[in-house]
Amino acid sequence: MTGLVFDIKEMAIFDGPGIRTTVFLKGCPLRCQWCHNPEGISPKVELMVKYAQCIKCGACVAACPTGAVHSLCTTRGECISVCPLNLRRLVGESYTPQELATFLLKHRPILEKNGGGVTFSGGEPLLQSSFLLATIKHLEGLHCAVETSGFASKAKFKEVVEHLDYVLMDLKMVDSEKHRYYCGEDNRPILENLKYLKGSGKPFVIRIPVIPGVNDNDENYRETAKLLEGSLNLEKVELLPYQRTAGAKYGMVGRHYLVDFDEDAKPYFNLEEFTKRGIEASIL
Amino acid sequence: MTSYIAKLRQFYVENKEHHTYRQSSVNPHSLAKEFEKRELSDTERAVERLKWVLEKEKVVVFPNEKIALLRTVPTIPEIYTEREWSVIKRSYRIHEQGKVSNICPSYSSLIDKGFNQVRLEIEESLKTHRDAEKIAYLNILLETLDIMEAFAERYRLAAIEVGNTTVAESFAQIPQNRPQNFVQALQFFRLIHFGLWASFNYHNTIGRFDQFMFPYYEADLAKGVLTRESALELLQEFFISFNKDSDLYPGMQQGDNGQSLMLGGLTTSGEDAFNDLSKLCMEASLELKLIDPKINLRVHAGTPIEVLELGSEMTKQGLGFPQYSNDEVVVNALKKWGYREEDALNYVVAACWEFIIPEVAMDIVNIDALSFLKAVLEALPCLTECETFDKFKEVVKSKLCRQTAEICSNTNGVYMEPTPLMSLMMEGCIAKGQDISLGARYNNYGIHGTGLSSATDSLAAIKKYVFEEQRVDKETLLKALEADFVGYDELYHLLRFEAPKMGNDDDYVDALAGELLDWFADSLEGVSNDRGGIFRAGTGSAMYYLWHGNELGASPDGRHQGEEFACNFSPSLHTHLKGPISLIKSFSKGNLERVANGGPLTIELDDSMFRNAESTAKVARLVKSYMDLGGMQMQLNGVNREMMLDAQKHPDKYRNLIVRVWGWSGYFVELDKAYQDHIIRRSELDF
Ligand code: SF4
Repeated sequence: MTGLVFDIKEMAIFDGPGIRTTVFLKGCPLRCQWCHNPEGISPKVELMVKYAQCIKCGACVAACPTGAVHSLCTTRGECISVCPLNLRRLVGESYTPQELATFLLKHRPILEKNGGGVTFSGGEPLLQSSFLLATIKHLEGLHCAVETSGFASKAKFKEVVEHLDYVLMDLKMVDSEKHRYYCGEDNRPILENLKYLKGSGKPFVIRIPVIPGVNDNDENYRETAKLLEGSLNLEKVELLPYQRTAGAKYGMVGRHYLVDFDEDAKPYFNLEEFTKRGIEASIL
Repeated sequence: MTSYIAKLRQFYVENKEHHTYRQSSVNPHSLAKEFEKRELSDTERAVERLKWVLEKEKVVVFPNEKIALLRTVPTIPEIYTEREWSVIKRSYRIHEQGKVSNICPSYSSLIDKGFNQVRLEIEESLKTHRDAEKIAYLNILLETLDIMEAFAERYRLAAIEVGNTTVAESFAQIPQNRPQNFVQALQFFRLIHFGLWASFNYHNTIGRFDQFMFPYYEADLAKGVLTRESALELLQEFFISFNKDSDLYPGMQQGDNGQSLMLGGLTTSGEDAFNDLSKLCMEASLELKLIDPKINLRVHAGTPIEVLELGSEMTKQGLGFPQYSNDEVVVNALKKWGYREEDALNYVVAACWEFIIPEVAMDIVNIDALSFLKAVLEALPCLTECETFDKFKEVVKSKLCRQTAEICSNTNGVYMEPTPLMSLMMEGCIAKGQDISLGARYNNYGIHGTGLSSATDSLAAIKKYVFEEQRVDKETLLKALEADFVGYDELYHLLRFEAPKMGNDDDYVDALAGELLDWFADSLEGVSNDRGGIFRAGTGSAMYYLWHGNELGASPDGRHQGEEFACNFSPSLHTHLKGPISLIKSFSKGNLERVANGGPLTIELDDSMFRNAESTAKVARLVKSYMDLGGMQMQLNGVNREMMLDAQKHPDKYRNLIVRVWGWSGYFVELDKAYQDHIIRRSELDF
């Protein structure tokens, strides 16, 4: 069995307790308009080019059977080693669970000494849940967290949560209509899984990406807070304000960043709905 | 920050209104002509110069300030005419400007005693000497005290005139007597420090300020003379004084003036030295956000994590300090080099990062620099004859040893201008009747080591591709380097971007760095300089990383001809780094105690890593982790706007610059211009 990883980030300091290494698993079933990791969407290896620095020397065009047209890329990678600026790479690296675990365990003493561990993020990490679970088995009890959209089957979600120490879950919006429009899928599985999570006893954090004009309204804050109320294993709620830089990497993977909201609008925050229900909340 | 401090900051730092008091500059050699005519000895010239400068000084006291003294004389004159100097340069080795610099005097030896007491000591010493030269020297020390006192007296009178009772009272007490309180002790320091700059000493470090000033601070708190708040304000006013005249101090560029202050660490009896004054210094600097004084923090196993967290708060300001050093490594290294235990435990840093001992050392810690990469490149012509990689390494080692041998032999016959004021604060000068420029208990010379990562990566590439995989043949490699890779695109790509690099926790590469460092240390083992001292190997680069880089051709790590090295103890600029954890592991592997002249691992972190208290605290843990791993010295940079603007112009220099946004990280130079601009704009909000 192998899994596809698109990045491994050391000292990820916003992805759970302590100092952590975050593994980004490739592939996601959702299509959130504001997604800032477009290279995590496709479950396949793909070409990523830093076009911003390209000097148009033409070396890649000459080396590529399809003339280095991004959309025609066959991911054979002939262009990679000819680029004088090293602007081209294939994103998505295969690992066996054992290989990934060996790599992660290299830093175990530092991670453990600093109250941290490993976080699996994505993409949607649950899309590769069996790879994830197999990797955890090799991690010898190192603290493991997952950062998930919650969009997965009940069985998968349950199995992964059971084997993990900590969960960071996104909760984009409660309105399912809007969710379908902005994220491409119904949020019912997410809300179902949230219900399970609340009762699971696992410590968890809820993260809300605050997108101006989309979910930054009192109603969504109130409904979200109500859903979370009384959950003893909920540590806190974090609001992640939309960043104007979210679209930065789309061009690099040959995608277009198209959003149906005003990127320049100031996001509206409402922490009170949470705090008045006894939930710790902050803006990250 | 109180409104008083804000006003001072604005006056001195932002508006530089005090510059209006500056006198016009003079020909730096006019005084020397007169000295030459009068046939004065160098020591006489030194003291005459100090007298001339301080007498020429216009005294300026503001009604409300608590710590006075302002430089108005822009030029400190030379003591030799140009002709005399060129003669001296022919017969002696002149280091930098030929002045005593970059050492740490014991300020407290004057402050705690007061000049009256010191005068008695000099008079005692006079009784023991018969030698006319010694007697003359001791008399010059007495004259130095007179000159400083006369200058202080003028300030006292000026203070009375404007009704500034604090300053008037200070100068009624000091420098003749021991200060009665904290403000007088600070004024005393300012007076001496001012005198050093006026003596043309430079890189005048501050030392263990939190240790030698603590008794005054503590006593004032106990007596109720000061509260912690009023002490903070006072300390901030004092810190501002380091920025009043600093544009007049000699240095490579603005800010390179050596005003480094050392906090915390172990006491000479091995206990935690971090006290409430140490903390107050950090708080003062944190609020002021000024480049001087530069804060250094000594860390040992028992340093509370809260101290490092406060350090992270400072890094967040983007000023590049504190710089951290590891007591366990540094103290051991110094002991192995022959420093007494109590001296080693007292270490501070020189202008940048070199470890020095206050009061007892006249070390020249930056006498020259070894170029690691040069040794590799000089060995390359022999590559074709080497059948194994080990053989090639031997050639590199011999080239490296030849370089250090040459460096060492070029250090003979150092001459420095005498400096009576500095000598008053250095051990043995009064008793021996001898100037500090002639030597102290320790007279060791430090040698920087530049281009370590480029040299290491070059060796790794040769080992892997030429010898092990035999993917690249020797001739081709040499030709490619000769051609600066023109026409060797794939080879260039392989060497520059795909080859293993130092900094990624890869033993294959890191072990080679360890060997290079060991050879450097080996080559200096048992060698002594003509002052009886030893040579210390180091990992600093100073400005050599540019100079050495510019003079060398293309290298097997894919570095272009003339391309600069990474600065200090850092990965090469075109390394694709895995991350901070791999980085600190890589740079703590070698036998660092043998190369402890100084030179920090420098890491750039984006300011988004300092977004909240929790994440800032995690950065502190990175520092702690580096020290736990046996790292020696570390400097973190919260990345700021200037750096990013520069990165837009020179993306090659900033490949490792990581910008963290929300849940993802990206390399700044990879982002589209529009996004880069955005991040730059956002960073402006932080200031
Ligand atoms: S090889 Fe690199 S620099 Fe040249 S055109 Fe292709 S991407 Fe641009």
